Amino acid sequence: MNFSPVHFIAVPLFAAFLIPIVGRFSKEAVKLIPGLVLLYLSYVAISLYPIALQKPIVEIIAGFKPPFGISLYFGPLAAFLVTMVMLIGLVIWLYSYKFIIREPLEKYYMLFMLVIAGATGIMITGDIFNMFVFLEITSIAAYSLTAFLRDKDGAEAAFKYLLIGSFSSTFYLLAVMLIYANTGTLNIADIAAKMQTVPNQPKIFIMILFLVGFGIESELFPLNGWAPDAYSQAPSPIGGVFGGIVVKASTYAMMRFAFVLFNFHSMFELILVLGVITMLIAEMSAMRQQQIKRMLAFSSIGQMGLIMIAFGVGTDASVRAALFQVFNHAVIKTLLFLAAGYLVFHSGSKKISALDGLGHNKPITSFFFALGALAIIGLPPFSGFWSKLYILTSVAKGGFLASVVLILFSGIIEAIYYLRVVGRLYFKKDVSQDNVRRTPISGLVAMGILAVVILYVGLYPHQIIDLIKPAAHDLVDKAAYIKYGLLH
Amino acid sequence: MISIPVLLLLIFAAGLLAFIAHHTIPVLRDAIVIIAITIAGYIVWQLPGQTSNVNFSIGMFAINWGVTEYSQLFGLLIAVLSFFALIYSSAFMANKERLGYFYMNFMFSIGAMFGIVYSQDLISLFFFWEIMTWSSFMLTIYCCEEAQSVGLKYFIFSAIGAYSILTAIVIIYSGLGSLQLANIFANFGTMSIAAKLAVVILLITGFGVKSAMMPLHVWAPDAYKMSPAPYTAIFSGALSKMGIFGIGLVLFKLAAGQGFYPYVQEILAWIGALTALFSTFYAIFQTDAKKLLAYSSIGQLGYIITGLAIGTPLSITAALFLTIMHGIFKSMLFLSVGAVYYRTGTTNMNEVSGLIRKMPYTFFTALFGIITVAGIPPLGGFAGKWMLYESLIQSNHYFLVIVIFFASTAAFLYLYRFIFSMFLGQEEKETENVKEAPLRMIVPMLILAVSTLVFGVFPGLLLKPISGAMGYLGNFQHAWETSVLFNNWGSEIDLNTIVTSIGGVFIIAWILITVKGYRKNRYVTTKDIHTSGEVPTGNENLTYAIDFYKPFERALGSVLKPSVDKLYNYTGKLLEDSFEHLRYVYTGNGQTYAMYVMGFLLILFLFSELIFGVAL
Repeated sequence: MNFSPVHFIAVPLFAAFLIPIVGRFSKEAVKLIPGLVLLYLSYVAISLYPIALQKPIVEIIAGFKPPFGISLYFGPLAAFLVTMVMLIGLVIWLYSYKFIIREPLEKYYMLFMLVIAGATGIMITGDIFNMFVFLEITSIAAYSLTAFLRDKDGAEAAFKYLLIGSFSSTFYLLAVMLIYANTGTLNIADIAAKMQTVPNQPKIFIMILFLVGFGIESELFPLNGWAPDAYSQAPSPIGGVFGGIVVKASTYAMMRFAFVLFNFHSMFELILVLGVITMLIAEMSAMRQQQIKRMLAFSSIGQMGLIMIAFGVGTDASVRAALFQVFNHAVIKTLLFLAAGYLVFHSGSKKISALDGLGHNKPITSFFFALGALAIIGLPPFSGFWSKLYILTSVAKGGFLASVVLILFSGIIEAIYYLRVVGRLYFKKDVSQDNVRRTPISGLVAMGILAVVILYVGLYPHQIIDLIKPAAHDLVDKAAYIKYGLLH
Repeated sequence: MISIPVLLLLIFAAGLLAFIAHHTIPVLRDAIVIIAITIAGYIVWQLPGQTSNVNFSIGMFAINWGVTEYSQLFGLLIAVLSFFALIYSSAFMANKERLGYFYMNFMFSIGAMFGIVYSQDLISLFFFWEIMTWSSFMLTIYCCEEAQSVGLKYFIFSAIGAYSILTAIVIIYSGLGSLQLANIFANFGTMSIAAKLAVVILLITGFGVKSAMMPLHVWAPDAYKMSPAPYTAIFSGALSKMGIFGIGLVLFKLAAGQGFYPYVQEILAWIGALTALFSTFYAIFQTDAKKLLAYSSIGQLGYIITGLAIGTPLSITAALFLTIMHGIFKSMLFLSVGAVYYRTGTTNMNEVSGLIRKMPYTFFTALFGIITVAGIPPLGGFAGKWMLYESLIQSNHYFLVIVIFFASTAAFLYLYRFIFSMFLGQEEKETENVKEAPLRMIVPMLILAVSTLVFGVFPGLLLKPISGAMGYLGNFQHAWETSVLFNNWGSEIDLNTIVTSIGGVFIIAWILITVKGYRKNRYVTTKDIHTSGEVPTGNENLTYAIDFYKPFERALGSVLKPSVDKLYNYTGKLLEDSFEHLRYVYTGNGQTYAMYVMGFLLILFLFSELIFGVAL
């Protein structure tokens, strides 16, 4: 069979269209369709991977060759990220299968499919306006998912997300207009080639707009006010979707533009500084949170700060470290959100204090949470250790020793608040009365898969590093991107 | 099959298997760990025959495992102590809860320690260091709810230590581009002076946390108290030695020969001496036997650090000798306290007394333990202390000698209290039915106790591997013979003579006591003591064990009051309170967030010249 990157966008979009119709006949089919779609797309992603490693696949839509038509660029980086998104999506689907029992089911899965389509769209499109469309698809689906539980808090969180998110879209669109006015093209590779001719002033203007626009979606301080509420009010698996998929897509876009369009030294420095501030403030805020999902949200922001620091150093090694952390954060934070989902469900409260002694009652779910906590702190032999180590060595090699110290300082804070929760789970007296409800098998399998990945990558990190090397190169190498993107 | 990967795999697999066995066939659990540690001990013993190092790479880091004489010294200590501790724990921990968890973490921390000593590169050293940290953390919080905050404190300090080491590692990596120990040792001098000094300070801080060097010791007393006795023996006996292992490497393989080396030596020697002094004072006033031993342990590690810091061949010999001896005698003492706890359910010295008749073998072990701690011949502590004093005097550190001698003498106070409160004195009603601890606990304790006598009479048994280790550390040579201590004034101490004469005195005393006093024993009741004819009322304190050193406490209390522990707690609380304020940056109000976005955009626009160098 002849696969093409178009499938990543077309199939989930078609599924999203199909789900409400099928929902009229069978609820079971609604649940199954996303799984089948994600399974198929994971297969496509894995089978396209080796081809993309040899030479980026550039797919031309409707026969217009770049720079005129819309093209898709599926290089090693896109392959890495898309495969990650598909696999994480598959795990989240498996978990949602029994977890999401509240109607309207078909809307949940439709929006889920739209997020997948939008996020992969951002990662593989070669057209800057096309990216805007995908950005909107992702954002609107994400706003709706935040309010999925249809309670007051959810609506409020979704509104805040919408409010801040619309800033992001506006700035992005403004930047696209300015780029079009200055270069006369919308193809990213073409823009990259012509960007040298653009005078500095509009260039900086465009850059600031992009930085703020993507900064909002990638949770940079002070643009991340929407994130804690959205994470904590959305259904738990959606927390994983946000942390593992949505945020990663916009981080990708920000980094792609930073390297390909601008490549300003001062821009990287700014990202580094913002990353440090984001990380510190988020970790400090996480320390005193009362609700577990809010705590995870802040931790997630903190991790994004860490990723931004590594990107901000801007060397080949640090980009590798950042991509490694992107992968680890997607896996570990998803595991934490999934485990927290059932912990909240069983304890009947979002409060951390309600989790006392749950480790005795729900040993497996608690174990997965504890494992995720140890991994995200960066303890060996879990995967988080290696990415943190790579980030630290690359940041130190870049000459930012103060950042190393601050990363480690925030690591200590992180350890404290995670271990407090783990301690509560296992060493407090059992207060819950919930002995009847059990975590369903599908949920346990979903968490189990992520736990195995964490351990496997922790013991054999080079497996992932081998994949990250070409991906990082794809991101840093501007000339190759222009060459392949324009089909030279 | 004799190789480091097999050793590590064996220990870690045994940990996992023990966990699984506990949940399926509990009978096998103890057998698995004991068999594993026995085989591991054999492998460790045979390892020096394996000359080839193990090389492979993870990601971009080259991993290298190998055996040196220095690591072998520590490897054997770990293997021997773990073996005895595990046999002991098969009785001590029987019928306790969550034994799968206990043995898994126990084995993991043993495996991690082996990993540390056999690592020949900093990445695997750090990797195992962190595994050691979390597995020992898991065992610290194992017992009960009260241990939670204790465990957290231990973890915070360990994290500070570990991250100091990590910072040093990244500095080395960015400076030298290699993390192989051999390369680092060879090329360390080429780094800039600031980097070198930073690395040395950071590493000593990091290793110092684990060896409970003041002022980084505050986690130790509580953590030692909370961990189960068999693990405390490892915690204090072997795990704290990993800090010593690291400090040894830093001092002699990195710092030695650099311009700042003498200053580092001097400061560290004083830190060690003051650690010994203050922890002795703290130990005197403890009412909990395990906390007393914990402070004693901190003090002993202080001697060792001083010995290392002085850096003469004799002082290093003394330090390494004390390292091994401390591993043995502190395990003995913690195990004997554990045996008392096993039978009476408490480690509070006010609550038990007069156990000598009930638990003679435990008493015997404890007695040998304190004699060794005190450094009295003919037991092993003597040779170590002797060499330490001598090396201090030879290198003209007279003030240090005074401090250490004072600390060492003051140690008699708490040692006497320890043995008196628990084993001597009146027998209490509550302890009437107490029996001697089971065989599986007694035998390991007694073997360790006898070994202190053996090493006391034949210190050369230990001095041989120690001189090998010193050869690795930097060609230090110190003459030794099996049972004779030399010194530079040409005189020598023949330990055989000492042992013979002491033994003779004991035998004569024993004969005299037996012949003369045997029949005259008179059993007394609680009230039959010096009350000058008055009959004491029921609520009067007649037990010496309570408020044992009240007068000393009154005299020294003001000196010991300002504790670093309180300072840390205060700092922690201050930080956490400030975080509490800071988190209201996130007001929860959408308008504020929108303002943040616009404000940020405006700042970027307005200060674009400052930030990007281009005015808009």
